[in-house]
Amino acid sequence: MAVLNRLDWYDIARDTNWTPTYVAESELFPEELSSAFGLPAEVFEEYDEPYKTTYPEYVKVQREKDAGAYSVKAALERSKMFENASPGWLSVLKLHFGAIARGEYSASSAEARMVRFGRAPGMRNMATFGMMDEIRHSQLQLFFPHQYVSKDRQFDWAFKAYDTNEWAMIAARHFFDDVMVTRGAVGVALTLTFAFESGFTNMQFLGLAADAAEAGDWTFSSLISSIQTDESRHAQIGAPLVQILVKNGKKAEAQKLVDISIWRAWKLFSILTGPVMDYYTPLEHRKQSFKEFMQEWIVVQFERSLLELGLDKPWFWDDFLHEIDEQHHGMHLGVWFWRPTVWWNPAAGVAPAEREWLEEKYPGWNATWGQCWDVITDNALDNKMEQTLPVTLPVVCNMCQLPINFTPGPAWKTRDFSLTYEARDYHFCSEGCRWCFEQEPTRYQDHLSLVDRFLAGQIQPPDLGGALKYMNLAPGEMGEDALKFAWLDEVRAERLKKAS
Amino acid sequence: MNGTRNDIANAHLNNRVGPVLRQGALAKAVAEAAEVDNPDKTITIDDKVAYVRISTEGEMILRRTTIEEMLGKSFQMYELEVELSSFSGRIENGSEQIRFYFEKTL
Repeated sequence: MAVLNRLDWYDIARDTNWTPTYVAESELFPEELSSAFGLPAEVFEEYDEPYKTTYPEYVKVQREKDAGAYSVKAALERSKMFENASPGWLSVLKLHFGAIARGEYSASSAEARMVRFGRAPGMRNMATFGMMDEIRHSQLQLFFPHQYVSKDRQFDWAFKAYDTNEWAMIAARHFFDDVMVTRGAVGVALTLTFAFESGFTNMQFLGLAADAAEAGDWTFSSLISSIQTDESRHAQIGAPLVQILVKNGKKAEAQKLVDISIWRAWKLFSILTGPVMDYYTPLEHRKQSFKEFMQEWIVVQFERSLLELGLDKPWFWDDFLHEIDEQHHGMHLGVWFWRPTVWWNPAAGVAPAEREWLEEKYPGWNATWGQCWDVITDNALDNKMEQTLPVTLPVVCNMCQLPINFTPGPAWKTRDFSLTYEARDYHFCSEGCRWCFEQEPTRYQDHLSLVDRFLAGQIQPPDLGGALKYMNLAPGEMGEDALKFAWLDEVRAERLKKAS
Repeated sequence: MNGTRNDIANAHLNNRVGPVLRQGALAKAVAEAAEVDNPDKTITIDDKVAYVRISTEGEMILRRTTIEEMLGKSFQMYELEVELSSFSGRIENGSEQIRFYFEKTL
């Protein structure tokens, strides 16, 4: 029997629009859930999804993807990757699974909102596949780390992290809730699928896959690059909407949502992806620097696509380019210093050869961040370990929820971008984070940062011990230096060599 | 890639299009097919071990039959998705060919 080509029947099969007779259009697609900027139904009739698939194709392709990911896992289960991996690499896995796995369920609910409330049939159709994709991502990323739980309790945080008030988790949740959980269908298509998935997820799921392959962790490399093949498809839900909004006089609205998501994703990635690429991944396995990956994926590829679809560069683009050189070094230093407050073991990544690499990739590193690490290194060499550990909490931003920090050194200028709104003082790390707040203050105003909660007396006793308890971090879960300071041996050897 | 601030500021002004594929047999076949199906273009292969970035200027066409020939076994166009982790430019995926392109030239 002759089979029609997909394109010969696709449109009629997926065109599920009808004229409602029992309820008004506005009840079928309430603005709160469709968030279509008040545009009428007919403008969405132009929506044509660029990356098409059908249910039979989807089932075949997804089956093959899963067979691939699971067979790589099965084949390598006896390879002793866990036993042979550097402690820094295991920290990459712990951070990734904890911050990502359960967030995929939020992404699935966001896709489900587009399935039901998306205004265009093609959008609803692609989001149906996207919704199933995200369930796959949750399940894979909970199942894969589970094999390590019996060996290392920190891997339990793959499941547990989202149920805690651990500070990095508060930051991740604040961002994901903003772009996935609390936006209507069109909003989610812009913030999640367009800005986040066609842009930033490439960093975490492909850039990091390159490092994983270099580090010999083929199970992880194969898993995350397979996940990104789903993202690559359903991320295309947003592009046709951008064009429709631009064409119908809603460019400013679309641009604003895309800009919010880009800025907020950037801040999260400066702590999630930056430190793991430039400090935790063993030096010999680093495929590129974090900045080089950012350039490849976000500047050359993603930024170009904004212009293609009729949007502009975000207003903060110069700040952003400046920050990709610097911000993650401060995040890394903070995470390492406050290591008891995270569920992974941060690798300092500042042995002599690593510092040389950092200086080469980020000229000026030694004169700025390097100076801070000199002090830490000297204290550790003198066995003054208490000097390398925190006694209190850092000031965090009321938008990204991350420690406020700037590049140290001669040009050091700590700035607090503050704002008083309805008699409450807010503190932000940057113009970008303050701007996000100002776009919709009522959306964010009631959230308390970890420091706000501390000051409000919610954390008892009001000291680091009380904060660790509040964050659900038990002994055996709290982070410590990944190499247990073995890197000091290289520093000693270097200093001896210089002295002789 | 480790360019100066000025290079980075202008790095988005490019017209590179094409697939980013997970490493493996299909990525190799597609890289070969890209040469055959786009005879007037220079195809760049950037191998990042875990993934391979195959790109050219402005537009790239990949035909199902060419990939099939390079693979040496039957191939359906939709099967490309199994390895297609990302791509530059816009996409148009049909049953007989897939096209990556930009409408605007910068």
